[in-house]
Amino acid sequence: MAEGWPKKRRLLGTKIRRIDGPDKSTGRAKYSYDINRPGMLHGAILRCPHAHAKITRLDTSAAKKVPGFQALAMVLPPKDWLVVKADEARKTLELKSVPSKKKTDKAEQRTVTVGPGVTILRGNKPVTLADLKADDLVQVEVEQDAVGRELFYAGDEILAVAADTEEHAQDALRAIQIEYQVLEHVVDPAEVLAKPGLHTTPLPNLSPGKEFTKGDPAAGFKAAEAVVEATYGVGVISHQCLETHGLVAEWDAEGGLTVWASTQATVATAAALAGRFGVPPGKVKCITHYMGGGFGSKFGPDVQGVLAADLARRTGQAVKIMLDRHEEVIAAGNRPSAYGKVKIGGKKDGTITAYAIDCYGTPGYTGGNTVNLNFLPYVYQDAIENFTRLHTVAFTNAGAARAMRAPGHPQNCILTEFAIDDLAAKLGIDPVIIRRKNLPPNNPKANKIDWAGRRNDIYNEQIDIALKLSGWKDKWHPPGQGKAGVIKHGIGMALHTWGGNAAGGTTPNECFVVIAKDGSVIAESSTQDLGTAQRTVTAIVVAEVLGLQPTDIIVKIGESTFGFSTGSGGSTTCPTQAPAALLAAQQARNDLFKKVAAKLGADPKNFAIDVGKVVDTKTQREWSWKEFCAKLGMDEAKGKGEWNLAISNEPGNENISSGQVGGVQTAEVLVDTETGLIRLQHIVAVQDCGLVVNKLACESQVAGGVIMGINYALFEENILDKTTGRQVNPDMEFYKLGGLKDMPKITVHMQDMPERGVIGIGEPPTISTAAAIGNAVFNALGVRVPILPLTPKRVLDALAKGGQ
Amino acid sequence: MNNSPGDRHDGVSRRGFLTGTGAVAAAAAGLQAELKQATAQPRVDDTNPMGPAPVLLQLTVNGRSLTTHVEPRVTLLDALRNYLDVTGCKRVCDRATCGACTVMVNGRTVYACTMLALEARGCDIRTAEALVRGGKLDPVPTAFVDCDAQQCGFCTPGFVVSLRAALDRNPRATPEELEAAVSGNICRCGTYEQMRHAIVQLCQKGG
Repeated sequence: MAEGWPKKRRLLGTKIRRIDGPDKSTGRAKYSYDINRPGMLHGAILRCPHAHAKITRLDTSAAKKVPGFQALAMVLPPKDWLVVKADEARKTLELKSVPSKKKTDKAEQRTVTVGPGVTILRGNKPVTLADLKADDLVQVEVEQDAVGRELFYAGDEILAVAADTEEHAQDALRAIQIEYQVLEHVVDPAEVLAKPGLHTTPLPNLSPGKEFTKGDPAAGFKAAEAVVEATYGVGVISHQCLETHGLVAEWDAEGGLTVWASTQATVATAAALAGRFGVPPGKVKCITHYMGGGFGSKFGPDVQGVLAADLARRTGQAVKIMLDRHEEVIAAGNRPSAYGKVKIGGKKDGTITAYAIDCYGTPGYTGGNTVNLNFLPYVYQDAIENFTRLHTVAFTNAGAARAMRAPGHPQNCILTEFAIDDLAAKLGIDPVIIRRKNLPPNNPKANKIDWAGRRNDIYNEQIDIALKLSGWKDKWHPPGQGKAGVIKHGIGMALHTWGGNAAGGTTPNECFVVIAKDGSVIAESSTQDLGTAQRTVTAIVVAEVLGLQPTDIIVKIGESTFGFSTGSGGSTTCPTQAPAALLAAQQARNDLFKKVAAKLGADPKNFAIDVGKVVDTKTQREWSWKEFCAKLGMDEAKGKGEWNLAISNEPGNENISSGQVGGVQTAEVLVDTETGLIRLQHIVAVQDCGLVVNKLACESQVAGGVIMGINYALFEENILDKTTGRQVNPDMEFYKLGGLKDMPKITVHMQDMPERGVIGIGEPPTISTAAAIGNAVFNALGVRVPILPLTPKRVLDALAKGGQ
Repeated sequence: MNNSPGDRHDGVSRRGFLTGTGAVAAAAAGLQAELKQATAQPRVDDTNPMGPAPVLLQLTVNGRSLTTHVEPRVTLLDALRNYLDVTGCKRVCDRATCGACTVMVNGRTVYACTMLALEARGCDIRTAEALVRGGKLDPVPTAFVDCDAQQCGFCTPGFVVSLRAALDRNPRATPEELEAAVSGNICRCGTYEQMRHAIVQLCQKGG
């Protein structure tokens, strides 16, 4: 059984500045985008301009004559060939396929004319015909291999070029001649539902879902005192990471690859590149010291990362490919849409007697499992006795969805919470009555400190706090019945839940702590800091254990070679890395005590850490930290911490990390009924996350989540032109993100529950904001604006229809 | 607007630039011969067309003189980042929407993505990197660190430069004025609430 968190918390739970704050705010922190290597080339990607097409002709000869052009790489599956004959005189290379045990693989032969711009690769190194002998294993692509390739969205990658400057790389792209057969496309998921036979995406466009039913919904609706039927929805949005996706790739003379990647997963990115290029994982190093936002979209090298590494091996130079803003929006992931026909029934005491939904969303051309409309009705489903849900995936010719900050949850929250407020209005009651009445019950069999054992109490307490901080009692009025006038006031609420456990998987995350004889302390892990202050979390935990200050700890993170770590997804990083750092620091401390005790002839059990010093509790003798560490002589003290979900679930470890959180948010708005403009007044976010490590960063995570929810509610949407299938706002100009002056006052209340251990906080606070805002607008107007974002036009349209 | 860098005559005038870039466009259209003729006959004023080949660029960045060669089409942002390794100004939208590339040119804030590098010749260019000297952090980034007004940090140098310039213009700026000063900057992580705290700190303690 682990020693656990210190009983007396000196640093944990207090407000501590980021240790890398000064470097970031003065532009000295080097992000992957900022890496400039000696002789580095710049890559650029040719993308399909059509929503669905086949390549019919490709001629890159003019591109290869552009000043500064260095190399070209195709987006094709890698294929190894065996050399039959390399003919230097005729400049031809005869090849045969590698014998395969699969019966479906036919033996092939081909002859490649090795002209300018055709690169033969052997062991990731370019070779000439003269270097080759029979049976050498090589890779060689010619541009004609791309002819016939089907492309599924406007933005699909075709090839990349590398040149000495970015300007020349763009010139080379412009010089490429390419022709397409344009095929039928569809970008509107409603059209997919209307035409069930469509097949314009890799899988058939329509992927019907399975119906799930609990109880007897028909009987539930019959028992209801009021029933509401409505359609709600929200469009596709983009992650809009400010640092775009991409990396700098550089091969060394020994065949090793180093990449500086903007990624949420250094270890997985290195492993993916090792697999793609057939090199041992130990020879690939992924560095991510600083990362400019990922939000779930950056878990591997992606097409552009593979292309950069490919161009780098072809040229023997470092190659940088960072997407531009247009590419970032269309090709680097998005959050799927969700539209649903909802029916909800209930009683005046607040009981929801039945809930039924038929909903769909689009993940773009692939990635149907990202639609995630499968936890409806959200939050309340354990209390609602009768419900049924059916969700359908509609593939469209648009960029593929990826996980985005609490995948599926914001959409599920909207499709549930909107219906609750509409039902409350019909019943003539405060919607808080419905929320309280249908909260998930405590599980009497569960441990009392766990979420399951106390979730009803946690939510009720959170609602109490939110009501108080928002002034709900004085501010709430029946929908549309606020003060008379053009500007209407409204207030709304929504609830959310999230996991936030330690990372799963069989291999635990690692953290290493080394104490040197000069008293300096290094904490090392391959984990990455996406902006979550993970670097500071590690420093705080190690400093807490060793009686030091966070700035005393040298934290080395963001390199795949620093041990094993999982990607930063699912809010798992802090609940995995904080315990790993705790265990590593405690083990290093014990090692230090043992080694010094041997030299002093003392008993290591008598040593204790105090702030900046070590005390022998038996003799009351004290040493400053540095004096004590100096006694290591030529030695050093070390510790290694390991943590994952399996270790967290071992008996006795429930106080170190756990999972499942709840949150309650309220939004207060003013709506101008003449212009349709919404001005936010105040958002309250009440959130639990177990043991708070750093209150300062924790509060800013919550406020940041709220702001992402505000953008989701009011501004953001990928708008695709149905005729061309292209996105009309792949930018930051017509794809709106709020600025400082768009933001209301945000009140964050953290419920500190140290007995539950560390739980992740990245995702939960962004879930319920948009639903709360939508409900506040309904409360202001007495009319539901059913589709997000709540643009002025949608507000005016809803008012014109009068809620019909 | 004599302090507008585009109108300066110690480098090259905006009019001269348009002439120059027009010539580049013409060259791209295949009129190489005419261009060579034009460049072969230097004019008496300072409006010699340049390019498309790289030309000498000398910039004063954070008090240091830096020299490189760039094609005339290269923006100040790309010259700083790709040619001079000054990477505190970030490329995010590359079309004057987000403010991540904000730098000071002769004390005025400029989106470096909207200015050609050659327009900045002879100007005093300051980037976020200038806001720490000898280990002493300027009050603006200090307030950002104190209040945790940054998460991923990619937008932060732009915000910090915008605020530094506003406070240089008016050290007694009100919170409302400072909020207006960063209305051309966008943050994706959502650090605005903490930024408000930083602005209050700057107004109370002085910037």
